[in-house]
Amino acid sequence: MSQMLNLSTGPHARDKWTTAYIMRVVVIALLPTAIIGFIVNGWYSVLMTAIAIITAVLTELVFDKICKKPDTWKDWSAVVTGLLLALSLPATVPWYIPFLGSLFAILVVKCFFGGLGKNFINPALAGRCFLLISFVSTVTTFKVDGVSTATPLVDLAAGKTVNVTQMFLGTAGGVLGSSIIALMAGGLILWAMDIIHGEICFSVIVGFLLIIGLFGGQGFDPKFLMAHISGGGVVMGAFFMATDYTTSPVSRLGQLVYGCFIGVLGGLFRTFGSSADSFSYAIIIGNLFTPLIDTFIVPTPYAYRKKMIALQRGEKKKKLKDQIPIPVVVIAIVTLIAGIALSGVFTMTKDAIEEQQLAKKAASYKEVMPEAETFEVNAAGKEAIDALNGEVYGSSFGRSRINSAITGLDSAGNAVGYVIEVTSNDAYDGTLTISVGIASDGTIKGIAFTELHETPGKGSLCDEPAFKDQYKDRNVTAFKVLKDGGSTLPEEIDSVSGATVSSRAVTNAVNAGLDFYRTKIQGGGN
Amino acid sequence: MAKETFRGGIHPNEHKEYSRGVALKVYETKGDVILPLSQNIGRPAKPVVKRNDPVLVGQVIGEADGFVSANIIASVSGKVKAVEKRRTLNGSLQECIVIENDGAFTPLKDYSVREDISWITNEEILARIKNAGIVGLGGAGFPTHVKLAPKDPLAVKYVIVNGAECEPYLTCDDQLMRAMGDEIVEGLKLILKLFPNAEGVIAIEKNKPEAIASMERAAEGNTKIRVQPLKTKYPQGGEKSLIRVIAGIDTPRAMLPADVGCIVINVGTVYACQRAIVYNEPLYRRAMTVTGDAVKEPGNFIVRTGTLFSEVLEAAGGVKEGVEARKALAGGPMMGISMPSLDVPIIKLNNGLTLLSVDPVEKADAAMTACLHCGRCTTVCPIGLMPQMMADAFIAQDLDRYEKKLYGLECVECGSCTYICPAKRPLMQTFKQAKAEIAAVKAAKAAAGGAK
Repeated sequence: MSQMLNLSTGPHARDKWTTAYIMRVVVIALLPTAIIGFIVNGWYSVLMTAIAIITAVLTELVFDKICKKPDTWKDWSAVVTGLLLALSLPATVPWYIPFLGSLFAILVVKCFFGGLGKNFINPALAGRCFLLISFVSTVTTFKVDGVSTATPLVDLAAGKTVNVTQMFLGTAGGVLGSSIIALMAGGLILWAMDIIHGEICFSVIVGFLLIIGLFGGQGFDPKFLMAHISGGGVVMGAFFMATDYTTSPVSRLGQLVYGCFIGVLGGLFRTFGSSADSFSYAIIIGNLFTPLIDTFIVPTPYAYRKKMIALQRGEKKKKLKDQIPIPVVVIAIVTLIAGIALSGVFTMTKDAIEEQQLAKKAASYKEVMPEAETFEVNAAGKEAIDALNGEVYGSSFGRSRINSAITGLDSAGNAVGYVIEVTSNDAYDGTLTISVGIASDGTIKGIAFTELHETPGKGSLCDEPAFKDQYKDRNVTAFKVLKDGGSTLPEEIDSVSGATVSSRAVTNAVNAGLDFYRTKIQGGGN
Repeated sequence: MAKETFRGGIHPNEHKEYSRGVALKVYETKGDVILPLSQNIGRPAKPVVKRNDPVLVGQVIGEADGFVSANIIASVSGKVKAVEKRRTLNGSLQECIVIENDGAFTPLKDYSVREDISWITNEEILARIKNAGIVGLGGAGFPTHVKLAPKDPLAVKYVIVNGAECEPYLTCDDQLMRAMGDEIVEGLKLILKLFPNAEGVIAIEKNKPEAIASMERAAEGNTKIRVQPLKTKYPQGGEKSLIRVIAGIDTPRAMLPADVGCIVINVGTVYACQRAIVYNEPLYRRAMTVTGDAVKEPGNFIVRTGTLFSEVLEAAGGVKEGVEARKALAGGPMMGISMPSLDVPIIKLNNGLTLLSVDPVEKADAAMTACLHCGRCTTVCPIGLMPQMMADAFIAQDLDRYEKKLYGLECVECGSCTYICPAKRPLMQTFKQAKAEIAAVKAAKAAAGGAK
């Protein structure tokens, strides 16, 4: 033995899994999602992803060199961060968006806090939220085949039906990594390999579904739940973001608490909040609770558990029914009953709710159709709306959708006019909805907003008489917006100053309602 | 039907292929033997021979000093060369008796003749075990005559014979069970005489089908003895793991196996007890495996205690040509102790020599990263501890949280957490240090309290 023998404290064997190995498996699990995203979105998305990953790795490398730290960039964790960030962005963002996102994620959130294992929130999510705040319109504008579209989630929030099949495959628009089926496949592989823990990913999804089912307004309708699960990064969040080792609790029980917390919070944000990206924030808030959970939830070693102490004392093993913790059973039963009751109540009261909503809306109908005493759903209109199946109406009204068509009746029961409710997705801040009152001859009797979130002092001025009364008592084929004012013809509408986008959206919606009335009710009715 | 395994645990590469098929071979020592006076838990033996005294094989040369102590037996005949401090396997100097080997192996009495033991009493069984200097041969080295004399022998429900051999590389217990099935069952039956209410359970991992078959055949017809196959998983052969599997009880650190009605005894120890009771032969040799990728002809040997590791390595063909040994382990890679040199004696506790050309620790240290908080260590801990949190608490020097909230003293040092850690953190090593520090703090407090 010419060489010195190595000395060390045992054990003298090590598993072949290393940090870099786990990170590489995560990258591989994300590849199907990325590839589908690339195919749907084209070459630019590949470039964008590369920018995100290379920036992430280079940032860590440079930081290591400057701070004379060991080469931590080799552990592949920066690759995971870069890839996750790219997958959570729209495929068409300018090159500096993934660059800045990765830079922030790695430098500020990871390196400044001490590197791998020390960051307190998920770097990729933090990067994404940083971009959301800094470049809100860039990061939330989605294009499919070069055309701006709403994400399915925006439609879902507006009460539309969405194409769940497309969302599953990843062709419905949204972020680069939006193929639910690929994300789920990757996530389940990681779960099967015990790299991510079911205590987190499944409890996130269950908690989320519970809230959506209870408060989403449509009960536990599977199609509705699937649509919610498929949108807004819930699957990516549950499998790839919330499960991040560093920012999730270590104990399995802690993970369960943490997962349920994120799921419930995400569900509440989705149901009662206004941001479509609320799930990212739910996970980050969950991250913030991790140190607390880890401090207080520490499992007792097997030998010190109550049941085991009884066995050590020689007491007989209890029967199965005594072993099931009663609180768990009670909570499960209560949840089950509440869920069934709520969905049952929903089904039973569905018609009543619709009537009530109709009555509520009658006020706005009255505003645009003062001659009418009562209102009823227009049969021809309803048929036409059902035939549209939630699609955008026509080709020349932007993204306007017809919600409902109502006939206004006078005290004698004769039709005096019609109210068409139209939603436009082209508003400056998402959607706006208007009711358009139309006399039988096609004259506009007035418009009223039932939904308007535009910028105060700008787009919000659309709701002022100065703007909306321009449509009143005019009988034209279609209105058009004059950006700089000076209208003379009846079809010309002066834009609200500084709010051309909003003005155009309103006008398109009015035109859509008018066209719908002429072709589907007047034409169809006669 | 008992369960086949415990919670947690790991399945390292077994590497038993090197030596699993090689039958036990008796190796007769050529050189001198060095017998440390401390080969057990408890107090070292007192030497009862001096320089130039002639000794015979089987002669007591060190006497048990107190209750928890064990006799030291001459393993060769010849004369005492010295009673002095010599280098032992962990590199420390310890008091040893060195015997100049005359090569004749003249025994004190003829150990090949069965004695009539039909009359034997429980006291005599324990006395013979004590005189034979038998300690736990699995590696713990607890004096067996103490282990077999619990406060209430009637409360013992299981005598668990540990043939799990969950340690990677090692195969000597496997070969012993294949060759000595009848002898082991006879030894177990004699031990069961001490515990009238107990059942004998021979627990063997399923990766040793030949040993299971051999023991089942030997145990056939015995209503009080059964063979329990176990899932192949480390640390299946740990005392707490076996009690968990056979009796269904997890025991805390403060509890002895006997407190929950169990006696756990290594299969080699049972064989030694059979030799001691039936042949009145003391413990001067044991089975061990010489293995590893750096060994030319790995195999299983019956060797005399006090033989140098280097001599047994030569018996196994020496170091393989073209290979350089990087690490030598007394035992296997999980529980074994790394040795600076092979010119140290084999003691009662050494079940193997593993010689490796690649040091996995060296490789792992190069791949070390910060802790990811992945929780793999918590998944494998057989005790249900939170190694990652314990390491954090120790690094933060929060010894109170380490001990009270995290039950850090319960660690059995199986090393599963260190093995599994993808960040290659030295977890178990940290816990050894933490336990030592807590013990030191407590000792200092006790001393201060005593001085007042």
